[in-house]
Amino acid sequence: MLSQFHSTQPTETINCRQEDAQETTGLLCYKLATIKKMNYSIETENLSLWYGDFQALIDVNVKITDGQITSLIGPSGCGKTTLLRCFNRVNERYGNVTTKGTIEVLGKNIYDADVSLPELRKAVGMVFQRPNPLPISVYENILFGLRIHSPLRSITRTESDRIVEEALRSVFLWEDLKDKLKVRATSLQLEQQQKLCIARLLPLKPKIILMDEPCSALDAEGTLAVEELMEALAGRYTFLIVTHNMAQARRVSKECIYMFLGELIEHRETQALFETPEHPKTADYVQMRYG
Amino acid sequence: MTRPGLRKKIALQSIAFIIVGAALIFLWTDLKKTGAAHIQTSSASHASGPLPSLLSDLNLILPISLLAVLCGIACAFYLEEWLSATSWVRRFIESQVAFLTEIPSLLYGLLAIAILFSYVGVFEDIGTPPVQTVNESGLTAVPFQRNITIFYAEALIFISMVMPIAIKTTQEALRSVVTPIRESAYALGANQWQVLASRVVPLAFPKILAGGCRALSRSLAASALLIGIHIPAHTTGPKGIPDRFILFLGGALVLSTISSFLIATDDPSTARHD
Repeated sequence: MLSQFHSTQPTETINCRQEDAQETTGLLCYKLATIKKMNYSIETENLSLWYGDFQALIDVNVKITDGQITSLIGPSGCGKTTLLRCFNRVNERYGNVTTKGTIEVLGKNIYDADVSLPELRKAVGMVFQRPNPLPISVYENILFGLRIHSPLRSITRTESDRIVEEALRSVFLWEDLKDKLKVRATSLQLEQQQKLCIARLLPLKPKIILMDEPCSALDAEGTLAVEELMEALAGRYTFLIVTHNMAQARRVSKECIYMFLGELIEHRETQALFETPEHPKTADYVQMRYG
Repeated sequence: MTRPGLRKKIALQSIAFIIVGAALIFLWTDLKKTGAAHIQTSSASHASGPLPSLLSDLNLILPISLLAVLCGIACAFYLEEWLSATSWVRRFIESQVAFLTEIPSLLYGLLAIAILFSYVGVFEDIGTPPVQTVNESGLTAVPFQRNITIFYAEALIFISMVMPIAIKTTQEALRSVVTPIRESAYALGANQWQVLASRVVPLAFPKILAGGCRALSRSLAASALLIGIHIPAHTTGPKGIPDRFILFLGGALVLSTISSFLIATDDPSTARHD
């Protein structure tokens, strides 16, 4: 039962909720994953996607390795963000989107009829280009995800304090923000806001964190801080980042995917992709002859 | 926005309140000279001052307008959050709303009198004053009496006037909550109702409220005009100043000032991230 977002087994879900939802499901999935030796968090097979008549993804086959940072690079409009948004099905909100092929996230096809979207999105967190914390306090921001997934007033005060501290500690914000928990999150610095957006995902115990150009709104220092954070969290979570910054892809990621006009051109280890690209299109791009 | 910035805005906006307040005091004293004194003293059945007919008007206008505003807000939520932009239902309603909001409210009054009232054939009934009873102390107690056909006709006009504005302003308020804000909640696994309750409504609330005020203000302004048009048939003060006209105009002024205040002091940093 790798599929933690499998909605046809209500009994299992309920049991998990009754015992501590976060701990149990997280641990269970992790154990099962190691037993099955699942090396890939995300696998797609002949994934094609259309916005109306326009085909944005063409037969993409990709396998994202578990527990490390993978980056998606390519010129604008090549489908990086579209691909990223497929993995938690946020794309569907646009309407007129047609998808073909399969996407297996944690061993379960997310386009199956029995998949529950809230559970999928719990397992696959997402960080956006611009930091978008809620205009409420830092404290409530972190608990927001947890609150929408648990029954009303089921989280005690001590528990929520612990969760907030834990989340802020793992994104290295606790020292800065421990006296500012009641401050409105939108009044923080951009870098802190972006880190908070990452911290906000952690109480839900996601397996995968998708990042859509997480540093494009930040300055050099903020970028460095967020990159350090990603490196520290890699291993616990699978990161998939879209970036326009090739230096960043080189610094942060273990594996790198180059996309061009909706097609996946090359997927290799970062160093190999940058130093000895196999495909001429990749070579053009990474050696800055194009894009 | 920083707090000092907000304070400055509130300070500037209160100038509008002061102006409206001064205007209202002026109107009220004017009203007192003509009609308000009349309310207490007159025991004549025909010229009993503005209060009976005013109450009778408010009895109609307020519930109907409030209902229309609420329906308009609900309709806007449905259009904006549930229907896709390409749906023909949405396009149809939006085009009609755009048309109706552009019509000056005076035309609604004329429409009401010229077409609807004459069509239902009860135009004469407008002029008849409410039935009055004189109790022993000499004060008048006025029971409400309305022609039911007129009631429906007026209600229809008000709804067609208030609802489009409520729909339009609410839609604008909902659009001001930009996609990234919604998506961040969706990405955390919230469903549509949770996104609406936790993010969209709190952010859009001041604007929705302002839109409601604007719609109500328009309904009052239009009533003032309506009263102004058919006032000769009604009771007026000795000088012939239509008291209800002044009161309704005052109400409209206050509401539109509140509406502009709400819009101006709404903190944009909470609603717009792009």
